[in-house]
Amino acid sequence: MPRFISPLVLALIGIILFGDGAYIHAKAWLAQVLLERAFDKSVATGEVVRPWSWADTWPVARIEVRRIGASAIVLEGASGQALAFGPGHIRQTADAGERGVAVYAAHRDTHFRFLRNVAIGDLIDVTRSDGKHFRFRADSSAVVRFDASGIDPAIRAAELVLATCWPFDAVVSGPERYILHATLIGTDE
Amino acid sequence: MDTYDTTDSNEHPWLGRLIVVGLFLLAQGIAVMLVAFVALLVSLEPGWSATTEQASLLQPGDAKSGTLLLKEDRAYTEAIRLGIDVDITVSGPTLRARVTQIFRNPTKDWAEATYVYPLPAGGAVDSLKMVVGNRVIVGDIKERQQARVIYEEARGAGQKAALTEQERPNIFTNSVANIGPGETVLVQIEYQEPVHQSGNEYSLRLPLVVGPRYNPAPIVQSVDFRNDGSGWGATNSDPVPDRDRISPPVLDPARNAPVNPTSITIRLNAGFALGEVKSPHHNVKVESPDNTTRIVTLADGAVPADRDFELTWKPAAAKAPSVGLFRERVGDTDYLLAFVTPPAAEQATQKPRPREVIFVIDNSGSMGGTSIVQAKASLTYALSRLQPTDRFNVIRFDDTMDVLFPASVAADAERVGEATSFVSALQARGGTEMVPAMRAALTDKLGDAGMVRQVVFLTDGAIGNEQQLFETITAMRGRSRVFMVGIGSAPNTYLMTRAAELGRGAFTHIGSVEQIEERMRGLFAKLENPAVTGLSAKFSEAKADVTPTIIPDVYRDEPLVLAAKLDTLAGSVEIKGRVGDRPWSVTLPLQNAAEGKGLSKLWAKRKIDDAEVARTLREMTPEDSDKAILALALDHQIVTRLTSLVAVDKTPSRPEGEPLKLSELPINLPAGWDFAKVFGERQQVPAQLRERHADARSQSATRRPTPAATDTIRLPKTATSAELKMTAGVILILLAMILFVFNRRQSLLTDAA
Repeated sequence: MPRFISPLVLALIGIILFGDGAYIHAKAWLAQVLLERAFDKSVATGEVVRPWSWADTWPVARIEVRRIGASAIVLEGASGQALAFGPGHIRQTADAGERGVAVYAAHRDTHFRFLRNVAIGDLIDVTRSDGKHFRFRADSSAVVRFDASGIDPAIRAAELVLATCWPFDAVVSGPERYILHATLIGTDE
Repeated sequence: MDTYDTTDSNEHPWLGRLIVVGLFLLAQGIAVMLVAFVALLVSLEPGWSATTEQASLLQPGDAKSGTLLLKEDRAYTEAIRLGIDVDITVSGPTLRARVTQIFRNPTKDWAEATYVYPLPAGGAVDSLKMVVGNRVIVGDIKERQQARVIYEEARGAGQKAALTEQERPNIFTNSVANIGPGETVLVQIEYQEPVHQSGNEYSLRLPLVVGPRYNPAPIVQSVDFRNDGSGWGATNSDPVPDRDRISPPVLDPARNAPVNPTSITIRLNAGFALGEVKSPHHNVKVESPDNTTRIVTLADGAVPADRDFELTWKPAAAKAPSVGLFRERVGDTDYLLAFVTPPAAEQATQKPRPREVIFVIDNSGSMGGTSIVQAKASLTYALSRLQPTDRFNVIRFDDTMDVLFPASVAADAERVGEATSFVSALQARGGTEMVPAMRAALTDKLGDAGMVRQVVFLTDGAIGNEQQLFETITAMRGRSRVFMVGIGSAPNTYLMTRAAELGRGAFTHIGSVEQIEERMRGLFAKLENPAVTGLSAKFSEAKADVTPTIIPDVYRDEPLVLAAKLDTLAGSVEIKGRVGDRPWSVTLPLQNAAEGKGLSKLWAKRKIDDAEVARTLREMTPEDSDKAILALALDHQIVTRLTSLVAVDKTPSRPEGEPLKLSELPINLPAGWDFAKVFGERQQVPAQLRERHADARSQSATRRPTPAATDTIRLPKTATSAELKMTAGVILILLAMILFVFNRRQSLLTDAA
C-alpha cells in the first residue's frame, strides 16, 4: 500500500496547484460579473458604489472594444488586489477623457488577454462611472520596460494607454510591458 | 489472470525494465521540478505573484526606507525654498495679519510652487499681493473656477501668477507659477480676525502648520433616498473628496532639518492698560513703548513652522472690561461689533444640576508623542473633578473604538479608579475614525431629563472628513452638549470651533502639559455652571442684520460676540437672556461705540460661517447657501470655499518652450508628533493612509500639467501565475496517474512472482 502514497501525494499537489491557478481565473471572471452590477449602479446614481462590502476599490469605467467583442470593468488603483478583479486605473494618471494620459493596466492572461487581438485603428469605448462616454482610437503600440514606459502624464491632449505584460505567452513575468496607445476622438455625455 | 500476466512479463522481459528505468528518471525529474518550483514560489513570491504595484513616486510615508530617502533628500536640497514672515497688528477687538511667503527658486529650471498652509478658522482673507522684483501685482477676488482658469492661462502663457484657494476654512493653498531660475517671488496675503476672549484673558492663535490628516477610505455608508418616493437614492461617496489637496508632503523630522523658517512680529494695541503678555509655546521678546502697547517678536529669530503660535494678554486691572462696542463705516453702511460678558451666576443661589458626562479620547497615531500625554493627563484631571452625584462614561477611539461601561455609571471612587487606569493604559496608534466615536458619545441611553448631558471630546482633530463629523453632531445631538478640547501643537481649530458650535458647547485648547490644569479648570467652570441661555439682541432704532442670527448659549467666562450691519448708527441695542433661572439684560447706546478696523469683513465672514452652518443643519439648501456665500464673498472680497484670489503679472517671463517644473513644498511634522506613529505603522494604519499617500499624487496629471518628479509612469506587474500553476498542476496529475498505473502493475507482477 505505501507505494500508492507517493502518487496520491503527487496528485494532491497537482490538484491544489491546478485549483490555485483556476481560482485566479474564476476570481477574475466572477469579480467582473459583480463589478458589472456595481458599475451600472454607479452610472445610475452617479456615486461611488463598492462591488462588495469589503472591497478596497471601486469601478471607475467600462472599457469596450466592439470589433472583437471585448469588455471589462476598470477599477480604481492598480494594486495587486485590484488587478485580480479587473483592469486597474493607475492612480497618478488622469481620468479617461480628461487632459492627460489615462493608464489602465491588467493581467495579460485574464482581463487584457484580448489586447493581443486589438489592432491599430480599432475603436476603444470608455464609459466612465459618471456616465460620460468617450471614444478612443488605437494609434500605436510598443513594448517597453516597466520603469521606462515613456508615458508622459503631463501631456495636454486626452489620451488612453492600455498596458499589460509582454510577451503574451510567457509563463513567468518579466520586466517588459506591452502598451497600446489611443487618442480621444469623440465624446458624448 | 495470473497466467496471463506471467506470460506477458515472460514474453517482454525488457519492457518491465524499460518502464522501471523510465519511471525512475521521470520521478527524479519530478522531484527536481518540485524542488525548483517550491524554490521559485518562495524566492520570487513578491515578484511573480503579480500583485506588487511599483512604488511610483516619492511618498511621505515611504521616507522610512533608505533608497527613497535619498530621493527625498535630493528633492529637499534642490527644491524651492520658502520663508514666511508674519506681521500682526492687534487693534482692540480685532487683528489684521499680513502673511508674506517668500518663494525662492535656487534651481536651474522654471518652477511652479504650491504651499498648503493653515490660517485661523475665523480669519477673513481679503488681500493677495504678488511682488516680483519691484513690481507689486494686486490680486482680484474671483469665483473659484474662474480664478483657476485665469491662473492656468497665465501659467501656460509664461506669466507669473499667484492663486490663493481655500481648502477648509483653516487650510489654504497658495500656488505660484513661473518662478524663474534663481528668482524670488513674494506672495503676501492679509486677513482680519476677531481677538479671542475668555474670562480675563485675551488671546490670538496663529497656526503655522497643517497637521497630517487622517482621511477615511471611501465606504458606502448610507443611502440618501430622494424625497419623491421614487425609490431612487444616492449613496454617500468619498468622505474626503479633496484628500490630495490637503495632504502636502511631510518631512520626517528625524531625517530632515526643519523647513519653512518663520518670523513673527506682533504689534499689540490692546486699548487698555496691559498686564501680563506671554506666548506659551514660543520664546518671545516683549517691548513696551507705553502701557497699552506691546511689540512682540520671536526671541530666537526665525523658527520652523511646526506648531501654532499663541499670544495671550491680560489687562492690568484685576478685571477685564465686561463690555466692548466698536463700529466701522464702510460706504454708507455702519458695522458694529459688540462683546458682552454676562455676569456669572452666584453659586449659592444655584444648586448645580446633576450631570452625565461622556469623555471621548482620541488615541490615534497622530496623537503620538506629547499629545497623548496631554490628553491622558487632561482626562485624568477631568475624572478627578467628577462629583459622586454625576454619571459618566469613557470612550476611546482610533480606527477602532472601546466604550468603557455599557451605559453611564455613577462616579463613585471605584468606577472613577477603573476609568483612570483605563485611560492611563492608552497608547497612540492607528487611524482616526472620529464619526463612530461621536455617534457612540451622542447616543443618549439614559434619557434622564433631570440630568445635564455633556460630551467632552479630546482630540487633535487631524481628520479630513470634518463635514461628516458635523453632520453626525447635527443629526444626533439631541439634548447633549459637545465640548471640544483641542490637544497638541497644531490642532484643527476649525473642527473644534464648528463642532462646539453645532453641539451648542464650548471649546478650549491645550498646547502643553503646563496648560492642562488652567485650561481644564476653565472648561469645568463652563461645565459646572449654568449657561446664559435664551439670548436675543434688539436694536431700538437701527434696522440691523445681526450675526449670529440665533445667538448661542454663552458659557461661564465667555463673552457674547455680536456683529451687525446697520442702516443708521443711532439708538441702542438691548441684549436679553437668562443667567441660570434669572432674567438678565443690558442696554448699550450705539453712540458710545469706538472706532474699530475691518469690522465689515468680520461681519461678512461671520455671515458666511452662518450660511455654512445653516447648510449643515439643512436649514438652507446647498444652492441657497452657496448663493448667499458667493454674494457676500464677492461683495467683501473674501476668500471662501467658492471664491479665490488671483494675481497675474501681465509681463510674460518664461520664454516659450522652456519647461515648467512643479514643486509641492513640504511641511514640517507638527512639534511633538511622532512620525512613525502617523506614517510608519503600516499594520495599524492600513489601506487608508497608504491610499492617501498614493492619492496625494494621484491627480497630478489633471491638476497640474507639468509635475516635476514624474518622468514617466511606472507600470504594474500584469501577469498572473495562473497558467504556470495550472500547467504544473496538470503535469503533476498526469505523473501521479502514470505512477499509479505503474505501481499497480508492479504489485501485480510481484504477486505473480
